[in-house]
Amino acid sequence: MNLILIGMNHKTAPVEIRERLSIACNEGFNPLDEIKAIPGVGEALYLSTCNRVEILARTQEHTDAEERLKALIFRHGNLSEGDMARCLYVYRDSAAIRHLFRVAASLDSLIMGEPQILGQVKEAYRLAVDHQAAGIILNKLLHRAFRVAKRVRTETGIASHAVSVSYAAVELAKKIFGTLKEKKVLLIGAGEMSELAARHLIKHGGDQIFVANRTHERAIQMAADFQGVPVDFDHIGDSLREVDIVISSTGAPGYILTYDMIAAVLKRRKNRLLFLIDIAVPRDIDPRAGDIDNVYLYNMDNLQDIADDNMQIRKEEAEKGELIVAAEADRYIEWFNTLTVVPTIVSLKEKAAGIIRAELERSNGWLLNLREEDREAVEILANSIVNKILHDPMTCLKEESQEGSALAYVAAIRRLFRLEAPRDNE
Amino acid sequence: MDIDMLLYRGALLAYLLSTLTYIFSLLIRRVSPARAATWILTGAFGLHTLFFLGEWLGKGYNPFLRIHDILSFFAWVMAGVYLAFQLRTKTRVLGAFVSPVAFVLMIISSIGIGGPLTVPEALKGSLVTIHAMLSVVGEALFAVASVAGLVYLIQDGLIKRKKSNKFMKLFPSLQDLDRINHFCLLWGVPLLTLGVLAGSIWARTVWGSHWQWDPKQIWTLTAWLVYAVLLHQRLAIGWKGHKTALLSVVAFVLLLAALLVEKSFFTTIHRFY
Repeated sequence: MNLILIGMNHKTAPVEIRERLSIACNEGFNPLDEIKAIPGVGEALYLSTCNRVEILARTQEHTDAEERLKALIFRHGNLSEGDMARCLYVYRDSAAIRHLFRVAASLDSLIMGEPQILGQVKEAYRLAVDHQAAGIILNKLLHRAFRVAKRVRTETGIASHAVSVSYAAVELAKKIFGTLKEKKVLLIGAGEMSELAARHLIKHGGDQIFVANRTHERAIQMAADFQGVPVDFDHIGDSLREVDIVISSTGAPGYILTYDMIAAVLKRRKNRLLFLIDIAVPRDIDPRAGDIDNVYLYNMDNLQDIADDNMQIRKEEAEKGELIVAAEADRYIEWFNTLTVVPTIVSLKEKAAGIIRAELERSNGWLLNLREEDREAVEILANSIVNKILHDPMTCLKEESQEGSALAYVAAIRRLFRLEAPRDNE
Repeated sequence: MDIDMLLYRGALLAYLLSTLTYIFSLLIRRVSPARAATWILTGAFGLHTLFFLGEWLGKGYNPFLRIHDILSFFAWVMAGVYLAFQLRTKTRVLGAFVSPVAFVLMIISSIGIGGPLTVPEALKGSLVTIHAMLSVVGEALFAVASVAGLVYLIQDGLIKRKKSNKFMKLFPSLQDLDRINHFCLLWGVPLLTLGVLAGSIWARTVWGSHWQWDPKQIWTLTAWLVYAVLLHQRLAIGWKGHKTALLSVVAFVLLLAALLVEKSFFTTIHRFY
């Protein structure tokens, strides 16, 4: 098959080395032309993200393409021999296919299940097509990879459980309110985490942001950032009547929101559901408030626990993903194996023989009126017409296979005569 | 077997299939089978609708008189109401609680469905049809309200437990469930009110007075009262969420128990077949 995949990722290489290589991460640099210029490299794909650098290539046998590919990485990364040996992995053929599928399906990502990697693989493929570096093998392989990614995404829960604290908060909010549209959010106190959570909530439809801060100037400033409304810190209770979600992260030593305050406000808001997120340490909201009906109180530890549990769930789901990857890799290899000359000629002949047989049977009615010799003559005629037509394509295939470049012809013949393996008709 | 019975059997089978598919969805804790189950339930509802149309318009047979027909109509309303909500909100897995109820009702109803029909004198009149139809729709809405309440309680408990849970992901959001409860009470109470009024007017015509202290009448009025109070608390006092959900479920369980007691220990003049 002669597929080779050379690369490094967040598991094998420290960030300093990946940094040096993934110039492309920032500058849009792409060494595809250089890779293509290496003798023996037929097709190539160059994938570079902040967490990985990989080259996938189809090489010809008996060439030093592999060494040259490594040398290219070596040169670009300014790596020493020792560094390279430590960080690089090399996969061949079926292992390379599986690796590519795993990468595209985000099974190999730093945060397993994150969605960006598929877009990055697609972009790498687009560049390969632009640089005319992708041929029959890579085209099929990459399209397979996209399908694997989609299957893993939809058939396993790998991407469906929030693994960051702020996304966990958004998911909870959705389980309480259904949609976040027209939901009002109150931010108490400033802080990176609370702002991040607020931004996620807005991104998912959150309507209006109220901001309260001990220093009112800071509240005004933050409200401007969020296009929200500053609220007087001493009158938080009033805005509690209106809002649906509260994110609190002040540095106050005691509770900002007490049990009584929340119990009272709930009556005034006619028991509308209230989601309180307390990410302050020490806590801002009396934990007993979570016992009140229609009040849902989560603190930092609760959210972190959920994110951790979800990571565990993703890991379990990833095992199902691995099964999909393995099955799809097998199917690809099966397809690849049909791309050899001899079986193609055999199936071509079989198909032709089948057509002749079927047509003769169809004409059986009037053929029976003929004399035995005439009937035989008709059969011979049919056979020889078909053989004449097939002669040139088959000779061409044999010639090309001697020159070692039959793949494209085989693929074309299989396609033109619909000889594809039945499962690959999609 | 005529075409209507074929439709009925088809609907029964589809209710069973959708119930099983929903249960499967709960077992593997994934929403995709529930998606298929919703379509199967839609199919069941469609067949069931055709059955009613065939019986009513085709044969001129009134499907609101006999207890078997009433049960099947009850199931039909529940499925229809749920599917209507499904269109508007993403409350897919709620079907896992509606579909089995509809199926069980259909099973009970199937025992006597399709038999010959002789209409007793007391039931000849369009007011009877209106009475039965409105009452059943009202009570079916209460049933959906209570099912939504039950799922609300489960989801509320899951969220308050503060643990990652696949069921929590699967079940609808609290607000959607609360809205369903609200909507069902809002329409159920006036519909049952009209149904009871129609019945009492008819009772006066055939039995001579509006009220007979019949166990079934008492039960219905109690149900009406309970849900009317619940609706009042919702609208006037602002009861929402957990409390209404809890009371809806309690009311449903008590009324169901009362119904069983009534059926087992009392005779009623309100039984015609």
